[in-house]
Amino acid sequence: MSAVDQPESKSAQPFDTVKSVNTDEVVTVSPPGQAAPLTESYSNASYIRRRRWQNFGWALLYMAPALFLFAAFVFWPFFQSIYLSFFITDQAGQTVRFNDVQYYSRILNLDGSGRTEYLQSIWVTVLFSLMVVPLGIVTSVALAMLATAKVKIIGVFRTIFTSSVAISVASASVIWALIYNPSIKATTWLVDALHLKTQGLLLDASTALPAVAFMTIWTALGFNFIITLSGIQAIPQDLYESSKIDGANGWNSFRYITLPLLTPTLLFLFIISTISCFQAFTQFNVLIANEGPNGSTNVMVFQLFTAFFKDTRYGFASAIAVVLFMVVLVLTLVQYRLLDRKVHYQ
Amino acid sequence: MSAGVRSNEVHSTTYNALETARQIGLYILLIIASLIVLFPIFFSLSLAVQGNTVAPSLLPNFSKLDWSSFPQAFAQEPNLGRWIINSFVVSIAVTVGQLVTSSLAAYALATLDFPGKNIFFLIFLATLMIPWEATVIPNYLTIARDLHWKDSYQGLIVPFLASGFGIFLLRQYFMTIPRDLYEAAIIDGCGRTRYLWSILLPLSRPALGTLAVYAFLNTYNQYYWPLLITDSSEWRTTQVGITAFRSTEAAVFNLQMAGTLIVMVPTLLLLIIGQRQLVRGLTAGALKG
Repeated sequence: MSAVDQPESKSAQPFDTVKSVNTDEVVTVSPPGQAAPLTESYSNASYIRRRRWQNFGWALLYMAPALFLFAAFVFWPFFQSIYLSFFITDQAGQTVRFNDVQYYSRILNLDGSGRTEYLQSIWVTVLFSLMVVPLGIVTSVALAMLATAKVKIIGVFRTIFTSSVAISVASASVIWALIYNPSIKATTWLVDALHLKTQGLLLDASTALPAVAFMTIWTALGFNFIITLSGIQAIPQDLYESSKIDGANGWNSFRYITLPLLTPTLLFLFIISTISCFQAFTQFNVLIANEGPNGSTNVMVFQLFTAFFKDTRYGFASAIAVVLFMVVLVLTLVQYRLLDRKVHYQ
Repeated sequence: MSAGVRSNEVHSTTYNALETARQIGLYILLIIASLIVLFPIFFSLSLAVQGNTVAPSLLPNFSKLDWSSFPQAFAQEPNLGRWIINSFVVSIAVTVGQLVTSSLAAYALATLDFPGKNIFFLIFLATLMIPWEATVIPNYLTIARDLHWKDSYQGLIVPFLASGFGIFLLRQYFMTIPRDLYEAAIIDGCGRTRYLWSILLPLSRPALGTLAVYAFLNTYNQYYWPLLITDSSEWRTTQVGITAFRSTEAAVFNLQMAGTLIVMVPTLLLLIIGQRQLVRGLTAGALKG
């Protein structure tokens, strides 16, 4: 987590910037045309300035490929999405008529049309996150604690616990589709136990979303495990040793040392998992492939996909995309804030 | 004194017995957890070796395992090999592209001192804030409608050649390399590009490895974009292909599972070979989400 988690913190500032600021200050206080006393090897301020602008040219050249690609595939399309969301578009994605904010008011049911399916889909997405995130985190903490066990072949077990990161959501969905398939008797016991009227868990409005959520927890497990384990491993060992001397048992040291010190990691995981729940698409498209029984699995991204790819309503789909972006942006900002705090206070 | 030694011995044997019991208990817990975590993989393997049956059971009959489903999957879906090739071409191209564009940009941000650096820094940071949903529609229109890149490698590759995550990962690593090295090299007449190529990059192999494994895995496992941008079967990548294969072989469970296992092999191998890099990449790249 340490590599890029503190891009805005002061310590991450490249020190050559700081140095150059110093140089400038020196230049301003020294008499014009005279060598600044602190810069010995390059005595000339104008030389330094020239070199900085020379660097600018090179830097621009080095950054050019990335800047061009980001401009073409991130920034331009992003503003284009916002633009399109205010227009009615034709089949080819050309704007036909200005539509004001009508798409937004429809999504949020502010236009009085009584069409609540879009609000419903936001609710389904929230519900999905509520099912996936807490249980996913609890499971990964349990697995990570288990993986700190001091036994000989713990590396093998860690690889096993990590394995789901290597399995794509698409492949996992194909497998889980069969696990939930009624003709294979893997989950019929559960269907019977719940007295469902339908044949399979994915076909019933009450169980379809939990079934997808459960499968999602599995696909995210490897990643959550890695993050949690690295968080636990970052806790200084001597804390445990001294608590042991003070007579703390395993549960106590977990409750009063591991858990509090793991909180930043878990908060981070909480935000990241929530964001990825809001972006989940593959499992819904493979396992359900429509809006689900009674619309019970119609998450925002799937609705976006339907409007965009199936109905080619680019303007409306863009409005959904912008709403989704706002949600993810808020979560991302919260995450940066939390990480920032962690950097400063830990 | 002898009594003292004795009680110590007793103590240590009970301690050893307790310790052994604890170890056995831990192994049992670890094995149970592993079985649960690996259940979907065991499940798919079990179905793959049961032959073509409409009602497979959870466990195969171990006396007559039928491995023919694996070659059969290739026969049934002639494009399966092509999908794997496609995925490899795209993933390798994207990985190499990200290594190049990221190390160049990261070098500028980490090592060079130039005016307006903070603005560029913020521009790259902003790319991490914009989720793919917010760009996918115009990107689709650009690639499919304007450039006619549907069903092509360039359509699958070009939008992913730059990575904000890659830039920040490498920048962070480059900044750990003493700046004196740069100053000394420049004084000795080494050009900026040569410094990057012959000094900085060789020193940064761990970070480059991390980015490579991370980029390859992510690209290989992509689903949404290849789904949008490929129409004909021979241009599909493994992930889209395997879900399509699932629909065409809806009732042939052993083939479905064999096909899925086949396309999972490359990333599972990557996990075993490059686990360290992968873990580093994921813990660092978690930011992207």
